[in-house]
Amino acid sequence: MSDVKEFETRPADTSRAESPLTWSLHEQKSLPHASNPGIILSEKPFLGHLVVRGGAIVLDEAVREVMDMALPAKPHALVSDDSGERTIQWLSPDEWLIIVPGGEEFALEQKLRQSLGQSHFSIVNVSGGQTVLSLKGKWAREVLMKSISYDVHPQAFPVGKGVSTVFAKATVILRRAEEDGWELVIRRSFADYCYRWLLDASSEYGVSVTR
Amino acid sequence: MTQTNRIAAGGRIDRSHGLEFTFNGQRYQGYAGDTLASALLANGVDIVNRSFKYSRARGIVAAGAEEPNAVVQLGARENTQVPNVRATQQGLYDGLVARSTNGWPNVQRDVMSWVGRLGGNFMPPGFYYKTFMSPASMWMTYEKYIRMGAGLGRAPTESDPDIYDHMHHHCDVLVIGAGPAGLAAALSAARGGARVMLCDEQEEMGGSLLDSRDTLDGVSSVRWVEQTLNELAAMETVTLLPRTTANGYHDHNFVTLHERRTEHLADTASDAGFPGQARARLHRVRATRVVLATGTHERPLVYANNDLPGNMVAGAVSTYIRRYAVMPGNNLVITTTNDHAYRAALDWQEAGRKVVAIVDARPSPDGDLVRQARDSGIRVITGSAVIEARGNQRVTGARVSAIDINHFVITGRIEDLECDTIASSGGYSPVVHLSSHTGTRPQWHEDLLGFVPGEVKGMIPAGGVAGHYALGETLSDGARAGRQAAIDSGLENVAEIKLPETRARRDGPACALYQVPHEKSALRAPKQFVDLQNDVTASAIELATREGFESIEHVKRYTALGFGTDQGKLGNINGMAIAARCLGRSIPEVGTTVFRPNYTPITFGAIVGRHCDELFDPKRYTALHQWHVEHGAEFEDVGLWKRPWYFPRNVNGKKESMHDAVARECLAVRERVGILDASTLGKIDIQGPDAREFLGRVYTNKWAKLEPGRVRYGLMCKDDGMLMDDGTTSCLGDNHFLMTTTTGGAAAVLEWLELWHQTEWPELQVYFNSVTDHWATMTVTGPDARKLMSEVTDIDLDREKFKFMDWKEGNVAGVPARVFRISFTGELAYEINVQANYAMQVWETLFEHGKKYDLTPYGTETMHVLRAEKGLIIVGQDTDGSVTPEDLGMQWAVGYDKPFAWIGKRSLTRPDTMRGDRKQLVGLKPRDPNVVLEEGAQIVLDPNESIPMSMVGHVTSSYYSPTLEGSFALAVLKNGRERMGETVYLPMSDGRTHEAEVVSTVFIDPKGERQNV
Repeated sequence: MSDVKEFETRPADTSRAESPLTWSLHEQKSLPHASNPGIILSEKPFLGHLVVRGGAIVLDEAVREVMDMALPAKPHALVSDDSGERTIQWLSPDEWLIIVPGGEEFALEQKLRQSLGQSHFSIVNVSGGQTVLSLKGKWAREVLMKSISYDVHPQAFPVGKGVSTVFAKATVILRRAEEDGWELVIRRSFADYCYRWLLDASSEYGVSVTR
Repeated sequence: MTQTNRIAAGGRIDRSHGLEFTFNGQRYQGYAGDTLASALLANGVDIVNRSFKYSRARGIVAAGAEEPNAVVQLGARENTQVPNVRATQQGLYDGLVARSTNGWPNVQRDVMSWVGRLGGNFMPPGFYYKTFMSPASMWMTYEKYIRMGAGLGRAPTESDPDIYDHMHHHCDVLVIGAGPAGLAAALSAARGGARVMLCDEQEEMGGSLLDSRDTLDGVSSVRWVEQTLNELAAMETVTLLPRTTANGYHDHNFVTLHERRTEHLADTASDAGFPGQARARLHRVRATRVVLATGTHERPLVYANNDLPGNMVAGAVSTYIRRYAVMPGNNLVITTTNDHAYRAALDWQEAGRKVVAIVDARPSPDGDLVRQARDSGIRVITGSAVIEARGNQRVTGARVSAIDINHFVITGRIEDLECDTIASSGGYSPVVHLSSHTGTRPQWHEDLLGFVPGEVKGMIPAGGVAGHYALGETLSDGARAGRQAAIDSGLENVAEIKLPETRARRDGPACALYQVPHEKSALRAPKQFVDLQNDVTASAIELATREGFESIEHVKRYTALGFGTDQGKLGNINGMAIAARCLGRSIPEVGTTVFRPNYTPITFGAIVGRHCDELFDPKRYTALHQWHVEHGAEFEDVGLWKRPWYFPRNVNGKKESMHDAVARECLAVRERVGILDASTLGKIDIQGPDAREFLGRVYTNKWAKLEPGRVRYGLMCKDDGMLMDDGTTSCLGDNHFLMTTTTGGAAAVLEWLELWHQTEWPELQVYFNSVTDHWATMTVTGPDARKLMSEVTDIDLDREKFKFMDWKEGNVAGVPARVFRISFTGELAYEINVQANYAMQVWETLFEHGKKYDLTPYGTETMHVLRAEKGLIIVGQDTDGSVTPEDLGMQWAVGYDKPFAWIGKRSLTRPDTMRGDRKQLVGLKPRDPNVVLEEGAQIVLDPNESIPMSMVGHVTSSYYSPTLEGSFALAVLKNGRERMGETVYLPMSDGRTHEAEVVSTVFIDPKGERQNV
């Protein structure tokens, strides 16, 4: 929609940026490092996150034109480009989450707005409000089963699926972008809680946190 | 005394692995594979407890979850105490320490038992209520002493060193119970490709097959159990959970399972060699289909003194002999209504001990097992029953008589048999408890003389619980149920499985006998126990029906039948049958009571899981949290957020008091410049051509003319016209707004907007998104705010170009920012919004430049004082869901003439919301400036009125103001605005009465000149 105020929130110098997990990692002094970790946890900080809302047909056209990707129309679908660095995830019937390498988000928003013209839609930059945690390892599914009531069995949660769901007493977006890797998109203010919960749930399997 | 009752060979115990344990202070030995109960029996421990009400000596009766007596207090240390553990379900481990839950000074010589013995006949149901009813005021005193004599177990007084956790599961088929039916069900569902979970409450899976006399494919049934479990364990789609009790069956096949992970190994998980692991785990299972294969509980017969140690259910005798290689006694009398109990006699005799007689209530029993017993030389007395057990601390004999079941009398001469063990069987009660949790009523089955589960959508009962008692039938019913469950869960091509061969056996029909008649009436005969755990006797149920209790639910509550941890596992059906006999009705007419979760007691730890200590509740942090911590902030909980409350400084080596710190912070803002982390305020990004129209409908005030670049304060009402939230909304573009909400209201407001959009006005083109966490917000406020800001921003701060209630974008400290000139302090203020990842650098830069202005960080307490001095409300503090905008004197923010009705408008024209004597927001100035009124204090007009006084309002906010050099408050007061200048009174609970003058809500700068500079 026109008459919307676009705003580049990213400064020229991003060297002093602090991701949502900065405080938790700082508090920890030294990162957990198991000798034979059953769980490997890491943050994918500073990515560009856009929430796009609107009708699927117009958004699909714009996304194809601008990103050369198809909008995932099926509920819970998650698609990525060939590099795996740009993903689009279905969140609700009129809502998608686009995650791109940090710094691309504003240009992408502008191009999408241009392509969408006078259609009714919204694009909101939420890059500062959430972050991505990567959860890998032999026991990743068990850790998720301790945290999330959603069915994470491979039969029910194949690669290419993502859901918004309850995580302990918070909410997360859970996605499976690859065979042995899960991603949790967590809100900034809940990041410490989610991180502590994951460390606790992982501790019996041995956990390492990597930067 | 070492394991005097242990059989020399056999059983499923590991004799190479001896274990030591302590019971009631005495050390004993057992073996790996024992339960605490089997080890106690092996050591000849007859008395394991004292009963709840009469303190009678009690021994082990059963071998499973239905055990009512052997309820022990477990734990070697104070912090590992577990009350109410059934010894029959507790795996033995080295160093186990247990005590009886009742009995003082000990179970052998119990003082209370004399009370029970002497007073037993004077303690009918309702005894305590009838006896201690007057004076009513003394009940609390009576209760204290009554409670000392009652209760089962005690809670630990130190905190538990172990952890517990939860795990969520989804499966196609959940099979509850791993006996023959459950194993067959799991096998056929798993082979059909289903995701299967199989849980079983015992130490070992296999159920009755572990102590069965029957063979499968001509070899011991245990072999088939092992094969089946091996096959299941190898399948990726199967989860096996031994030592796991299905404790609750909730709606839509949501079942909670309680897994004991280290409880069978040691006192704590650390002691067991699993430090940091959960001692117990609660599995929360959502199953497409449930196969209920919970089997049966054998029903004991109700005869006189049937609670003496040495009285057992017949099946338990077999279990102890065959599975644990333990002889519960030397000379056995069996009293039965059916063929199945004969197995116990055969097992007893084969173990080399004497079977004195089998007393069968049926006139002419003739099944295969009966013949086998007779062929083995066992005396079978027909048409008779044990009417009374003899003995003091243990059974020493049985009184046997012919009986007439229909007329409920004994008919023959009474014969005394010498024995030390009486095993009884009144048939089987299917374990319907879990199905009943869903609300369905069990169905009486006349052929079975038992209740079977009522219908539950998505649940298939299989095997014993469905009334199939012969092994062959049980297996095939299980296989059928498992296959059906797999098909019902959506799988195709589920094949039938081949089951092992069973040897055919003909069982004769059972007869219906529950309570055994005695030569004396139930009231005069020695006690005939129905519910052993709650000490409910047959005569108590008789009395209850005589006193007019006809509903089984009332009988239950009057007598305590089926109460407590026992949940009526052994006693309920007998109790119902006795009530039915007394009322002259049939059992199905009397019906059952309702079983509720949990099936067996579950530790609180498992319910809590990891939601405790630092993970009890999420703590939400702002992007600046680390700075606050490093600068000594005290924090306040606001919703889930941790907000800086105030920043005490060290003055002369001493930490400032809250009062001093807040006074210093207040003056800094009023005189120089302060800074607040306001990131927690809710922020909602609103886009769309109808965004403005939508705002007009959810806010009370007008939005049609708000131009881009301008900000407006708005009030939001619920449809009842009461204020629900407030905040500023900025026009970013014609179709783009940024709404702010209160910190606590953010999620509710976003939901509210979505609700109205989706249900009432879907035609409006507008989208809402939460951006609360995306933006960090810092408020720079005070007379020096502009000077400080000018050093760090490229935004033109000229007072004509950047006015109060304007917003601008630009860079602050090199970071793109939106800056809003709104004020919650009454001073010149700039609210800086930057993307949260860059907030810390902006905050720190502000402090670098702020040093020369003595930039002072302030917290929520100072914020509260400053806003209250200006009469600015906080929703939820100065309002409570019963306050309208008019009550607050905010008519200026209500647009009655807007073209489209807004939420709450209609309610604001109701007579009640328009009446003149509503409570209205006012200021209060205490006569004594050193008295800070209590928030919540009630206001009266006449301090001398007698209680109850006429209360006309209450204090909502109250502080000390360093600027005013005195206390002040906000309050809601009836007719408040017409009482300006009047004196009101605040009587306190300590007897003092404070005086205050009613004044304007604005205490500082009423014209707003300070914020408009």
